[in-house]
Amino acid sequence: MSTNVIRYGFVIDLKRCYGCYSCTAACKAANHTPKGIDFAKCIQGEIGTYPSALRQMLPTLCMQCEDPECLTVCPTGATQQDENGIVTVDKNLCMGCKYCMQACPYGQRHTVDEWSTYFPDAETREMDPYQLYAKSKWEEKYGYGMAAKCDFCIVRLREGKEPACVEACPAKARHIGDLNDPESEISILIRRERGFQLNPELGTNPCVYYLPPR
Amino acid sequence: MKAQPGNVKEDVWINTSCGGCYGQCGIRCHVVDGLLVDLEGDPETPAGSGRICAKGTAQLMTLYDPHRINYPVKRGNPEKGVGVDPKWQQISWEEAYDIITSKLKAAYEKDPRGGYFQATTVQTSEIRFAVIAFMRAFGFKNYWVSGGGLWCGNGAHFMNGITHAAWSIIPDWNYNNYTIYFGCSKGHGAGHAALQTAQFVADARARGMKAVVFDPYLSTQASKAHEWVPITVGTDGCAALGMINVIVNELGLYDAEYLKLKTNAAYLIQPDGHYKRDSKTNKPLIWDPVDGKAKTFDDESIKDFALEGSYTVDGTSTAPAFQLFREHLKKEYPLEKVSKITTVPVSTLRRVATEFAEHAQIGSTITIDGKQLPLRPSAAIFFRGSQGHRDSGWTCLCIDLLNHVVGAADVPGGSMGHGPPVCQGHPDTGKPNTVPYPCDDGLMVVKGWVYDHKPYPLREPKPPTRLDLQDMFPCSVYNAFTICSSDWEKYLDQFNIDYRPSFMINFGSNSVMTMGNAEQVTDNFLKKFDFILSFNIYQNEFTEAVADVVLPDACFLERYTPCVTFPSTFCHPTGMDHWVWQIRQPVVEPLYERRDFNEVMLEIAKRLGIEDKYYEAINRIIPVRYGGEMGEKYKLDPNGDYTWQDICDRVLRDRLGDDKGLEELKKTGLVKWPNKVEEKYWRWFVPVRIPIYFEYFLEGGEKIKKLLKQFGREDMFDIDSFFKPLADWHPCPSHEMKDPAFDLWAFCWRPSFHTQSSTQNNPWLDEISVNDPFVYLIQLNEETGVKKGLRDGDVVYVENAIGKKIKGPVKLVQGLHPEHLCIAGCHGHWARGTPVSKGKGQFFDDLTIIDEAHTDPLTQGQDACVKVKIYKA
Repeated sequence: MSTNVIRYGFVIDLKRCYGCYSCTAACKAANHTPKGIDFAKCIQGEIGTYPSALRQMLPTLCMQCEDPECLTVCPTGATQQDENGIVTVDKNLCMGCKYCMQACPYGQRHTVDEWSTYFPDAETREMDPYQLYAKSKWEEKYGYGMAAKCDFCIVRLREGKEPACVEACPAKARHIGDLNDPESEISILIRRERGFQLNPELGTNPCVYYLPPR
Repeated sequence: MKAQPGNVKEDVWINTSCGGCYGQCGIRCHVVDGLLVDLEGDPETPAGSGRICAKGTAQLMTLYDPHRINYPVKRGNPEKGVGVDPKWQQISWEEAYDIITSKLKAAYEKDPRGGYFQATTVQTSEIRFAVIAFMRAFGFKNYWVSGGGLWCGNGAHFMNGITHAAWSIIPDWNYNNYTIYFGCSKGHGAGHAALQTAQFVADARARGMKAVVFDPYLSTQASKAHEWVPITVGTDGCAALGMINVIVNELGLYDAEYLKLKTNAAYLIQPDGHYKRDSKTNKPLIWDPVDGKAKTFDDESIKDFALEGSYTVDGTSTAPAFQLFREHLKKEYPLEKVSKITTVPVSTLRRVATEFAEHAQIGSTITIDGKQLPLRPSAAIFFRGSQGHRDSGWTCLCIDLLNHVVGAADVPGGSMGHGPPVCQGHPDTGKPNTVPYPCDDGLMVVKGWVYDHKPYPLREPKPPTRLDLQDMFPCSVYNAFTICSSDWEKYLDQFNIDYRPSFMINFGSNSVMTMGNAEQVTDNFLKKFDFILSFNIYQNEFTEAVADVVLPDACFLERYTPCVTFPSTFCHPTGMDHWVWQIRQPVVEPLYERRDFNEVMLEIAKRLGIEDKYYEAINRIIPVRYGGEMGEKYKLDPNGDYTWQDICDRVLRDRLGDDKGLEELKKTGLVKWPNKVEEKYWRWFVPVRIPIYFEYFLEGGEKIKKLLKQFGREDMFDIDSFFKPLADWHPCPSHEMKDPAFDLWAFCWRPSFHTQSSTQNNPWLDEISVNDPFVYLIQLNEETGVKKGLRDGDVVYVENAIGKKIKGPVKLVQGLHPEHLCIAGCHGHWARGTPVSKGKGQFFDDLTIIDEAHTDPLTQGQDACVKVKIYKA
């Protein structure tokens, strides 16, 4: 159904992804995620039997589901979804119950209790200035004990830029676009290349589609 | 200067070049109030095109890493060795300069020849002229890049230089439809225009390009490929020759026109193996079958060239080189024999060869920018994995010959010299000009080359003057077997080297980890230096083992480098786009007391009173390596007094134009200008030929044999088997190992998110690595492992035949040839200075053996495969 309102969606082309983790690093730099949290991951593994084996790469991020479980279970209304489908957390309302983390079937809700330095054994007690900066940015947006998640780099989108992971990807395997526009690049890709959702039977209707690997 | 953001209020983006690996992609750095807060790709440069990989982004953690060396230190513990605690003592820069100057002055006065430079390949741009200029000024020749050079390039660069005028080769994926990979990851890795190529290969795959990957390991590229062909490690050359046998002898599907006009395939060969030469001009002769007579290869009256048959010329029986080539392949490389050696089925070899030749579309053309060019959408490529064997040089040639028999060399769709080697220069200056030219025999000579001795013609073997004996060998770039041997002293005596090592200056290389067996390198080589000065950004296995003084290096975010993307070895993608000349500039002033080693070396030159020679050396090096003489206006005056920034500025204006100095380049970080078809697809525009018959190896071999005999070492290498004109595959010691106890081949592979040994301490890359299911584990084929009673996760020992062993957890996988185990990269760190990386992964290099038997007789490349046994710890 075509409407004037953008519904953000992602397409990840598994034919193109070669598991370089550029997305993981770019996301960390853009969102200042602490040690132990990556909004953009790449799960890698093996299927098949020698010599007909295959190594697979599965980049993951928040699905920005149309019918998000995290939103349904949130007791305080901290988890919200805007008209473009982006799911966010208002840290002033979040009480850290972690119900959303239990509920999300894709494991895309995160939390930390404190900022753990990336240099635990450094001689100097004071954290380096880049980490102090990243920590302050994290605290501004997410804080500790509260839920945190990927928001498709909505701030960058509003500035006319692409999400950090999309821009960084060397193979151009990641696309963001408007699922409400049947002629948008991602809508065409999904139709033409037989894009699929992960575990659609769970019923949340994710807005991230994968293009088949081979 | 501390590591706190300054009081300056600013929000700027500074363009520079990444130094996370030698890809040198253009990046934009966001600096807010003096703090670097973001790194992104620069969309304006073809070297990266706006992308940035994990290694690049992770450099945000490098600038302020508390493990960075921030002050000069000297060694407090006189004991040296692997794992020794150096007990660093902080000193001032003045004290450091005093120590360095007094040590170097003493060496200079006693005998300057004993100096040795060792450099990392990651910051190649910085090394390529200023460091070499210092060596010239001081008066020594000893230099190497440890593992980055030997494992990586002795064979590949040498052979690619001969046949493509370039550093390596990559397919032109703008048009390519079929790529055979051997031992490389192009488009799925790092380094060679990696970010652009990642998109090109993905685009090509999307439009139907088929990649066939020969690899013992189910690497990323093998997984993405149309087909993975498991193969025994180090047998790539054999597989290639078997496939060429099919193409030329069974299918007859070769590009006769290319062979006749662009190679020496038609040159007549006499019974002693040499060219039959014209008695008047001494030029090699060919047979014109239309006119029924022999003519010089460049005779303008030639109507056709015979590629087959036998012809009597001046009473001598001759045959075209191609005739001998075909007969040789038919005799020596029947598929049944090739299959046995490689374990690749006969049917697969025949099918892939056929597909490769058919996809080459011999005879087809394409028009680009108004010029009609041959279209050959097939390519066979190789790099480190192929050339890291005893057969280093020939393996590369054997694979590249696949390209030349179908004419798929430096034309659309084919295998392209990389970085693009042929440049006519910036329109304003005509520099850098790197257009090759023919020698008297018609064979290609490179114009610009990274080393002073070109890959062709072969350097004349002469009694050695270098401590590694490298300059005795005609093809060698670096020698390890001499310096890493416990017999190094014996070599020096035997070859009449009348001086000994005195001091070493290291620029970021970690030769203790990256060359081979750590103790072998340290005890036999590094401990022989009286004084070792090292520039580093971290204390690592090298500095802790052997450095006397360590200086806090400015990292790539804190320095000026005038030439980053030239010489064009790693950075430019294939196809019509732009040449880009990028610089490096500091995004912040060097923090603490860090200094750029270029500035420091210049200061040392001044304190030693040799800065005039240093400036003169720069004037001589720039033309050789950066394509074109220096104009008088910007040449350095030997009596002048320059800063490093002055030198950068003059080199830039000389190469690019009066209006393109350092200040101007700082605005955008780069200058670019469009490519021409004659540059990017140069093969048919440049009147050169390449050898498929290496006639001149015969003479080179005789000379080196004679020289070795003179020193009583004619037994050193099997010269006769390697300095031969026709391509052959030679086994590694591992292929001839008979002891059934050592039943597995071990080799190492490189992950795309690490750069040699230098990135494992980066905590973001560490986090990625620890979560990756393969990179820090010893991989073994599951069926093989189960037969050995092993389970996934068991801690095991991997031991070679001389008792050296490494330890780690085993991962049983499907993606590995059953007779192999593999270990990633250069991991298993033990240095105190890099605690994040300590103990993670395994140190593969400890299994390798550096000696004459594991050295390529042709190029002195090092063999990096070894037979091992595996058992539970």
